[in-house]
Amino acid sequence: MTAARWLVRRLLLTVVVMLGAATVAFAGLQLTPGDPARVILGSTTPSPEQVEQVRHELAFDRPVPVQYGLFIGRLAKGDLGRSYQLREPVGALIGDQAWSSALLALTGFATALTAATVLAVATAGRRPALRRLSMGLELIAISTPGFWVGALLLTFFAFRWHLFPVAGGSGPEALVLPSATLALGLVGVYAQVMREGMERALDEPFVLTARARGGGETSVRLRHALRHALIPLITISGWSVGALLSGAVVVETIFSRQGIGRVMAAAIASRDLPVVTGVILLSALAFSLINMAVDGLYRIVDPRLRESAL
Amino acid sequence: MPDPRPRWSTRHRRRVGAWTAVPLLLGTAAACGGGSESAAAGGDLTFAASIEPDCLDPQMSGLDVTAVIVRGVFDSLVSMTSDGRFHPWLAQRWTVSKDAKTYTFDLRPGVKFHDGTPLDATAVKATLDHAVDPKTKSRYAASLLRSYAGARAVDADTVEVRLSQPDASFLQAISTAYLGVQSPKAIRENPAGLCVRPVGSGPFRFGSWTRNKNITLTANPGYGWGPATAAHTGPAHLSRLSIAFIPENAVRLGALTSGQADVIDDVPAMYVKNVRASGKLRLLRAEQTGAVFSVFPNTTHGPLTDERVRLALMRSIDLDRLVQSVYFGQYKRAWSLLSPSTVGYSRATERTWPHDPALSAKLLDAAGWTARDSEGYRTKAGRRLTLRWPYLPKLMRDRRDVLAQGVQAQAKQAGIHIDLVGEDGGALAKDILTGSTMDLYSTGFVRAEPDILRYFFAAAWPPAKGGGNFFHLNDPELDGWLRAATATTDPAARAGYYAKIQDRILRRGLAIPTYVPARLVGTGAHIKGLGFDANGYPLFYDARATRKGES
Repeated sequence: MTAARWLVRRLLLTVVVMLGAATVAFAGLQLTPGDPARVILGSTTPSPEQVEQVRHELAFDRPVPVQYGLFIGRLAKGDLGRSYQLREPVGALIGDQAWSSALLALTGFATALTAATVLAVATAGRRPALRRLSMGLELIAISTPGFWVGALLLTFFAFRWHLFPVAGGSGPEALVLPSATLALGLVGVYAQVMREGMERALDEPFVLTARARGGGETSVRLRHALRHALIPLITISGWSVGALLSGAVVVETIFSRQGIGRVMAAAIASRDLPVVTGVILLSALAFSLINMAVDGLYRIVDPRLRESAL
Repeated sequence: MPDPRPRWSTRHRRRVGAWTAVPLLLGTAAACGGGSESAAAGGDLTFAASIEPDCLDPQMSGLDVTAVIVRGVFDSLVSMTSDGRFHPWLAQRWTVSKDAKTYTFDLRPGVKFHDGTPLDATAVKATLDHAVDPKTKSRYAASLLRSYAGARAVDADTVEVRLSQPDASFLQAISTAYLGVQSPKAIRENPAGLCVRPVGSGPFRFGSWTRNKNITLTANPGYGWGPATAAHTGPAHLSRLSIAFIPENAVRLGALTSGQADVIDDVPAMYVKNVRASGKLRLLRAEQTGAVFSVFPNTTHGPLTDERVRLALMRSIDLDRLVQSVYFGQYKRAWSLLSPSTVGYSRATERTWPHDPALSAKLLDAAGWTARDSEGYRTKAGRRLTLRWPYLPKLMRDRRDVLAQGVQAQAKQAGIHIDLVGEDGGALAKDILTGSTMDLYSTGFVRAEPDILRYFFAAAWPPAKGGGNFFHLNDPELDGWLRAATATTDPAARAGYYAKIQDRILRRGLAIPTYVPARLVGTGAHIKGLGFDANGYPLFYDARATRKGES
């Protein structure tokens, strides 16, 4: 199989995944209890005429298979529809928020990856005191809930010292605290995975060879051992970046940031099917693309996989 | 407006509040520098709200944050003061026909919408028709116009509104921002855009809306038709009003203490002391009008059909202590279903039903709930006295969930088991529609008009018909008074009816009022002229931002 055929096959699979995701979204909202028309109309009791109007406009008065057909038909035409609640086209609504989510996810991820690499290279299999301290701190970072870290960072860096905006800033300074909060939650996981992979690699005979050739310890680690530690890390990063791209609700809320996560949370609570579907499709797409990228990366990092995959 | 000010993660937020209390204290003590240094002649003002509107079409949205924001964008026909009187605004004067079914408004000439369209009689008609059109899917405005039968433009400056029956609450309805007059051109040409680009005639023009972030409004330089109740005439003092959305309570307060917001909405009761102690901030408060947050017992199904059990529940709760401790002394306990700042509030209800565990026990004994089970709950014929109380978590804002738990704990001492169940919107809507699957339901309703009691108790208004008579109560005497009170416009006669109505509600145990909510708004000391309207919503038309340090 050539690389091109592999890519085509993966893209077709992506379409299937997205169709499945849309179907699950539709089924999920069908199965939740209560009349969706009433939920859409809000918590004050609506008049019977209004309920009828909503049912009719949104085809809730048609049989479920017909509703499903209409739903998939619109999606096939690339029409995500209009939000029930916000009365805006879903594409525009999500587009406005996606950039903010992506920026936060990528900066948070990059920060965590850099910090984890430094920690792992510095402490894997050496400096026992530092290693123990680092592992302890990582464990604390993993177990501390993001909403508390975020509130703590805000209290000191924004409320007291005025170094960063409390909310609503648009420049890069508005990204620092939210990214740091996200990164703190990830750095522990990354560092532990990387350290373990690296320690396993350091026991391999090729490291002994590399050392025998007279390379410095850090360069042996960076050039030879790190590559081996990367495989599990790539797997885990693929998952976490996908999850971040589909929204970091807690961090977005605490820092009053725009983002997919908040849109999704509000849409689920108000049965806003078009928005829920839009976000789910976006997440499915993000996960599919990331998985493709991860598979590609495996081949670069570990040349043995190239042969086995062909 | 209907009470709901949805927020999606009450439980989570409460945890944040508790966890951050200590760092926050530090933050407040040390804060208060900065501020909007750019405050120019007119001044810019940043207002941090706790939730974001769903839509800026006031006839569609039912959220009170929408009313607060669009109040500056839209003008109303009349303006109301908290004493229940109405004053000219877009209508210079008005007359009511003898049968109280026709209102004729004489419009102020020369008023222009932000898009240049003249505000005339056809514009008023277009707005009212838009509100009641089922296609608008109005969440609230349509319910204000239940008695609306149609409008007619007599000439450019005269509009005649016909009602299907006399309705003393009509003027209050049209004084709200929910019936603010919209540009007929916008309604006609861009119905899909009304939510995101509102066009009114008010002192502020809509600027931009970045979802999950902010809304900006800019002063309308040609404005010269403010309400007679405002402190000044002409354009607004502020040149720019931006509304930021900061859902987290602690963060919103931090924005104020650090000077990044000039005014914040919904200061949590537990932080009021911090604001007061800072010395550089001010706290403004306005008691909410309408129906206070209350618990409604099911009078048609289950154990609460017995009036003695309802009254026993009422008397088993020590609301004085509960409200004091849950709200840190910031809110008052309620005695009547109507809030004290509402026209028609009956002072005679005060102290008529104090906490009385002995009476409560006697009533329960008389009702046959005499035995006790192993957990100490009362039973009758082997069945425990259990009351199911479902709620929508996002509506239990403002620590109402804690209050409900307090009620639950106190009822337990009387041997009543309350089963508090958090539900999602769909399940709750089902409970409300059937009316037989819940014993208690809790809600409030903000509206500066005692007619709100009809929403809760009129036999003709069960939930399926768009009303709030959750348990299909049919009390002909109450119904008669409610109708009579709205059929007359004589204030003394109305007050008389509403006094009798409020008394009967308590005497029959038809509602357990809990506390009187207040809107707590925090401002920097450099903000002047910020006031409240008759609904208790903050008003920005008269506000100004002086330069820091000036005062």
